[in-house]
Amino acid sequence: MNIISYFQGFISQINRLMVALGSLGLAAASLILSYSVVSRSLFNATTDWQDEAAVFCLVGVTFLSAAFVQERRSHIGISAVAGLLPGFLEKLRVFFIDLVSFAFCSFFTWKSWTLWHEAWSDGQVTSSSWGPPLAIPYGLMATGMSLLCIQLLLHTLGHLFGVTTTAAKGH
Amino acid sequence: MSILLLGSLFVAVTLFVMFSGIPIAFALGTVALIFMACFMPAASLDIVTQNVYEEMASITLLSIPLFILKGAAIGRSRAGQDLYGALHAWLGKVPGGLGVANVLACALFAAMAGSSPATCSAIGSAGIPEMRKRGYSPGFAAGIIAAGGTLGILLPPSITMILYAVAAEQSLGRLFLAGIGPGVMLVALFSAYTVWQFRRQYSEALVEMKASPGTITPAILQTESYTLEQKLSYLPRVLPFLLLLTGVMVALYGGFATPSETAGLGAVLAFVLIAGIYRLWRVRDLKPMFEATIKESTMLMFIIGMSLLFSNVMSDLHLSQSAAEWIVALNPSRWVLLAAVLLLVIVLGFFLPPVSIILMTAPIILPPLRAAGFDLVWFGVVMTIVMETGLIHPPVGLNIFVIKNIAPDIPLSEIIWGIVPFVIIMLLSVVVLCFLPQIATGLPDAVMGVLATKH
Amino acid sequence: QGTATNLKISHQFPGGTIDEGDFRDRLVRRFAQAVEGRSNGAVKFQIYPGSSLMKVNAQFSAMRKGALDMSLFPIPYAGGEVTETNIGLMPALVTSYEQATKWKTADVGSMFNKLLAEKGIVILSWIWQAGGVASRSKALVSPEDAKGLKVRGGSKEFDMMLKDAGASVISLPSSEIYAAMQTGAMDAAFTSSTSFISFKLEELAKAYTGAQNKSYWFMLEPLIMSKKIFDALPPDHQKLLMAVGAEMEAYGMTEAKKDDIMAGQIYEKAGAKVFALDDTVVSKWRDIAARTAWKDFSDRNATCAALMKAAQQLI
Ligand code: NA
Ligand code: NA
Repeated sequence: MNIISYFQGFISQINRLMVALGSLGLAAASLILSYSVVSRSLFNATTDWQDEAAVFCLVGVTFLSAAFVQERRSHIGISAVAGLLPGFLEKLRVFFIDLVSFAFCSFFTWKSWTLWHEAWSDGQVTSSSWGPPLAIPYGLMATGMSLLCIQLLLHTLGHLFGVTTTAAKGH
Repeated sequence: MSILLLGSLFVAVTLFVMFSGIPIAFALGTVALIFMACFMPAASLDIVTQNVYEEMASITLLSIPLFILKGAAIGRSRAGQDLYGALHAWLGKVPGGLGVANVLACALFAAMAGSSPATCSAIGSAGIPEMRKRGYSPGFAAGIIAAGGTLGILLPPSITMILYAVAAEQSLGRLFLAGIGPGVMLVALFSAYTVWQFRRQYSEALVEMKASPGTITPAILQTESYTLEQKLSYLPRVLPFLLLLTGVMVALYGGFATPSETAGLGAVLAFVLIAGIYRLWRVRDLKPMFEATIKESTMLMFIIGMSLLFSNVMSDLHLSQSAAEWIVALNPSRWVLLAAVLLLVIVLGFFLPPVSIILMTAPIILPPLRAAGFDLVWFGVVMTIVMETGLIHPPVGLNIFVIKNIAPDIPLSEIIWGIVPFVIIMLLSVVVLCFLPQIATGLPDAVMGVLATKH
Repeated sequence: QGTATNLKISHQFPGGTIDEGDFRDRLVRRFAQAVEGRSNGAVKFQIYPGSSLMKVNAQFSAMRKGALDMSLFPIPYAGGEVTETNIGLMPALVTSYEQATKWKTADVGSMFNKLLAEKGIVILSWIWQAGGVASRSKALVSPEDAKGLKVRGGSKEFDMMLKDAGASVISLPSSEIYAAMQTGAMDAAFTSSTSFISFKLEELAKAYTGAQNKSYWFMLEPLIMSKKIFDALPPDHQKLLMAVGAEMEAYGMTEAKKDDIMAGQIYEKAGAKVFALDDTVVSKWRDIAARTAWKDFSDRNATCAALMKAAQQLI
């Protein structure tokens, strides 16, 4: 079952890359909004694209880093039942958790890509005065959800074959 | 299927899925999809992603990650430790002084941020470890931050009050002002409880130590003495925090920045300050702050986004609306109506974030409340406080999740027990507001004049 | 009654009762009541006011896909998805209700109906609404006043015209208008008369230019329906929906006009300087709009150009 560990290693690398990108996205959003304040105050400039640019950055940060957060099991659930069930049922429960999460995210991913495809082929833009293509944020959402799906699939398979796919929680 | 049966089924499935341990975000989404597939037009499943995107793609909501980033820059750097060091030096002798300082810090941050989890995260990332280091019990420390964080939507600016103002056709300015009095009252009550609880934990520790002499003095009993000189030398360390606070407040209230721009500006300002004062500007210095922000904000934004699907289904199946209509149809007396409505808000608060509660119930509950002679500005404040309690109780309590993320080692049950007294305080203050509505309406009436015909 | 058709109507405006509250909500309730009555309960409605069912922008594509039945929807909000719908808030293209009413039956109306039908939308009721501009400092009446003001135009086309007039355009969510005007982050904002009443900007505004007389801010906010759902109804129900929709248009116009007057009165009472527009000022704005927003719109594609040409015939 080396192949699962191998893939997990590969996905971990990608997750780390996404966090680096996400950090840049956060920084970019902050700088863009600050630029908006400064340019309007000092130069009385028109500021009609900054909000939306920041939204795109932050949508990107949120979705692209979802798999990283899942790898560390930081998408929080209610752990009240943990430890109450006998061994076998508990194993089944943690398997079930990842399986259901995987099923939900797969559906969501599928619909994200169809949404992206629609926006792309119809040339949809946002309704603001800047009007950038909607395919950009939809694409970020679909890509992030796909990575999250792969991570959840690895978690699920990990249970079946007894391979650890969860990263340490610490910072 | 009758609406009662459908509602019961919905609650049962939700509780089962959530308590199975599935991450809240995916649990909310899964329940939504199941009910969409079974009870709603097939096309509903085609628009889930767009609905979630539309929910998230607002700069007002997406300012949450930026507020968390600002908090992380201070809280996860030496700036935070220095700030708490200074607070300790000055307040160390005051019983529970550090806890009170945290409540105040939450209130100050709440005056900049419009959301509760952001407030909770920003102050808690440094506040919880610092309080625990000084002997506060984990549950107590968590309770202080969770409750303090709820001030985020009571003190202006506030995302939920903005939505309420639109739904109730009330003046946002009036509503914001009306939140200040009760906000101050809650700060005072939280502080008083904090002092009382600290003294209790202090004397318990004292008794325990006397019972078994020779053990190490517990942290809560350790008092360091500072000379005035030492105390003064700590003062400049508060400077970065004060500069940040002033900078952001001037930008926001001086009309230079819109509320959401303030979030980005605050983050940049915080990083400039820690770079200038603490020389923290290398990638390895900043990486942990960004990573912590991403982990927390992504977790939160996923829950917020997916809870939209959940409330979509509740709204489409007319569940909350039917409950509200049922209450109204009973045609109860004035105060029973109010109590029933608030109880409904509490129940909905088990599963839904404040924003969804307002959108679904406001159109149904506001007209009868208005007809019953309640001041809708006052009610907005009361409803906000009641919704705040929903943020700090399970199963869906955004502030609890934030704390769970900051301090994963504190068991959920301990956090909840730490929070319960604060929930009681909040509900008590609702009762106080019923008897003394002036606490809320006094300030807006003084500033903007009394409305000729109060609706 | 097991076979009754249940239709969901969603809109973004504050919810009230059939006699009280935002007229756009009242119009929807009257429509529902009339149809229910005349169909003897065979068609029933569930109304979701105040975005309680879904977000504003999600409504249009939900209707295209058949996931939502009906909405009273500001049509230019669909501008990102169907760029032609931006003509529904084209500055100074419509300047009076009398002119607006002509759209439905004129060439521009049938072109617009055909376009929306292709996109999966049916218009049941043509509702138009005028608006104006409130400012926290100096009044914004004619184009010369715009210089140096931080203005929220609220749409791509208004922003273009305002930029040309020398304003610095600011984009912010409508939920932040009040706070931004309070602190001074924004000087002036355009919106509909009814929204001016419900936003309570009179508490902050020093000047208000409304639509009591003429206006260069007219928006099409029709009652629209998913074509998928519409086509699946029996013909007599289709006819009934269309007929009641048409009857609602007069009510919509009366109530919209009332709000134009009332907004002016409310702002005046609150101490703001209130201005009405005349033909001279409106034509000044039209000159700017024609060379900026109108031109930009016409250049987008052939349908846009044709729509613009047809709409201009009604001026
Ligand atoms: Na706040
Ligand atoms: Na809750």
